[in-house]
Amino acid sequence: MTANLTTRSVEGSAESALRLLQGSNTRLVSIFGSVDESGARRVHYLADVNREYRIVSVPVTGALPSATRVSPAAAWYERELHDRFGIEIEGHPDLRPLVAHPAEYTFLQTQGVGVCELPVGPVHAGIIEPGHFRFSVMGDSVLHLELRLFYTHKGTEKLFEGAPVMNGTALAESVSGDNCFAHAVAYSQSVENAFGISVPPRGRAIRLIGLEFERMMAHIADVGALCGDVGCVVPAAYTARIKESLLQASASCFGTRFWRGIATPGGVKRDLSAENARQFGMAIAQAAADFAGMAHIVLDTPSVMNRFEGTGVLDNKIACDLGAVGPVARASGVRGDVRHDHPYGHYRKITVETPHFQQGDVLARARMRIEETRVSARLIQETLHDLAAGIIRTPVPTDASAEGFSAVESPRGELLYWIRVRDGRIARCHIKSPSFQSWPCLPYAVAGNISADFPLVNKSFNLSYSGCDR
Amino acid sequence: MIFDIVQRSLSSPGVLVPFEALIANSRGSRMPDVRQEALTASIARRAVASCALSALIIEEEDGRSILSLDYGKCTGCGHCIEAGEGAFLLAESVQCGVARQTLVRRWDIERGVEISRDETALTDAAQQIRAIVGGALNIRQVDGGSCNGCEAEIGALTNPYYDLERFGIHFVPSPRHADMLLVTGPVTRNMAEAVKRTYEATPPPMLVVAVGACGCSGGIFAQSPEIAGSVDAVIQVDAYIPGCPPTPAMLLTGILRVLRHRQLRGLSR
Repeated sequence: MTANLTTRSVEGSAESALRLLQGSNTRLVSIFGSVDESGARRVHYLADVNREYRIVSVPVTGALPSATRVSPAAAWYERELHDRFGIEIEGHPDLRPLVAHPAEYTFLQTQGVGVCELPVGPVHAGIIEPGHFRFSVMGDSVLHLELRLFYTHKGTEKLFEGAPVMNGTALAESVSGDNCFAHAVAYSQSVENAFGISVPPRGRAIRLIGLEFERMMAHIADVGALCGDVGCVVPAAYTARIKESLLQASASCFGTRFWRGIATPGGVKRDLSAENARQFGMAIAQAAADFAGMAHIVLDTPSVMNRFEGTGVLDNKIACDLGAVGPVARASGVRGDVRHDHPYGHYRKITVETPHFQQGDVLARARMRIEETRVSARLIQETLHDLAAGIIRTPVPTDASAEGFSAVESPRGELLYWIRVRDGRIARCHIKSPSFQSWPCLPYAVAGNISADFPLVNKSFNLSYSGCDR
Repeated sequence: MIFDIVQRSLSSPGVLVPFEALIANSRGSRMPDVRQEALTASIARRAVASCALSALIIEEEDGRSILSLDYGKCTGCGHCIEAGEGAFLLAESVQCGVARQTLVRRWDIERGVEISRDETALTDAAQQIRAIVGGALNIRQVDGGSCNGCEAEIGALTNPYYDLERFGIHFVPSPRHADMLLVTGPVTRNMAEAVKRTYEATPPPMLVVAVGACGCSGGIFAQSPEIAGSVDAVIQVDAYIPGCPPTPAMLLTGILRVLRHRQLRGLSR
């Protein structure tokens, strides 16, 4: 199989699910609902226990005890279950609507003399996605930030239902437009796991190239945007140039700027000639060298360091409690990288070094992105250098029934697809988005900072709205 | 320090893409075109069957079978090219339209000829671009609920390759400063009110351009009950730029096309 995930999946009671989440070395991955052909509802609790994914599926007969009390990371998942499946959650501290936007909505109140509320969004000032931020400020200082997201909710999980398995990739690519290849690969791997299909080595290698390419683009753009947010505009323009050089190299070697239409269940659709491999390798090397040189100068610039250092600190304890993933978590000292913990595809044949930082501030997150860009460039070069020959995809049964899931390390962290297929059509698809998991961390990093630093802190997280909202 | 980056930047070779190479160029968009001499009834049927979004359909008209390709619905998934046995290929140039209907192309399948095509090309635009833009154009980008793919390409318009500012085109932070709203979609139910209010906050005269397959038609999300619809289901739209996502060159072409149209017709809609 593509992603030989060690998995234990069991039926159980709500109490056993809560016991699972309470265990040591356990991280909540996702909680989601499903309805089978007979109309029976189930809630699935997915956790990572000592680098092993475990699922407890609980039949829903009445109200469920809230998992948020034992694992704060469960809070948004349970609000979503309450919203979308109408499941009652007993003992949840906050069951206000999350995904649904009713006309009446009460924000949490911060009270005291001199406290002001500052509403921002959903329409923002830049070329970015929509979301609402409600700040409670005293003078310049942010006392509390409340997020109101899901403006880009498109009912995507529901749209998967009824689609033939081979058509799911296009929808997965439209979940989060700047991570479209990670979504397409995670979806494809979940189909492959469900049916026990193996992707040919060359297909696996091309997927790794695409995944690391996407990570490079995301991180290079983020570091540039961070520079732009502190008024350091020359590096911002310079990184935009590096990113575009990568997009153009990709367009000329793979026929796509953002790797849409390449991944498919069973492998990839686009092969790479020796000449294109050489050209792509050169473009990656050039971009990585340009970016490293520029990043070195940026981190040597006092006016940048002054803004980055100590700003927007995400405490390690909060990152752990809320189950944060990806560069955001690793910049706060949380270990964890799907490529390393649950290796899939070509990652099982290659050593991934995962950088970590302890400080949890904007600087640590910027450094994470700079270091990860370097690692990604190396992984691409190694893979290109040692590219296996042969076919790039294997056939997938188009009329079978099965269940499966798979995770990848997207540029924003652990991204997981869980699917149920009936007679070749998708009956249920759940997307665990890294942004859904990491968004609740942002208010903790912002509190105590001045409101003018919010764009900087938010950009250093750079979470996806559409990926979270789906 | 920072001057080292300025020096680095100035000493590297120029990357600016000339205007002529951008206009009406849709390479890299993955959108299909039809090689009409290779088109047969059975190929057309297979291609239509492969299209999950009904961007390709066969219509019967006066006893003729017409193949209709709606770029406003196409996401460039490539299924028709895979199924089309050489009759479908990657498009070099895709129309951006002032009217929604101009995004639709039609072929008489039996005769293998295209029926009509609105060919109001921007041929002399290279000389006239400054006159078309009129010195300055302020664009406010509005995300009506997109996947962020269109935003990535719109953001690329300001990079040193495309450098939209060279034409006097700027992205501004407020609708109050805007001459044009560049709206991506699909407009979700949760964003419909915000999109309407942004539209109302923009002072006339102004233009609205719907961007991307989702902005033009709802795209891959068209059937979802959670969306309000395409951009023109929520506010009045002056032009459409297809693509999933449209390339920077297609975005620029679309922006110029609506400006030219407005210039020729005066300020009335």
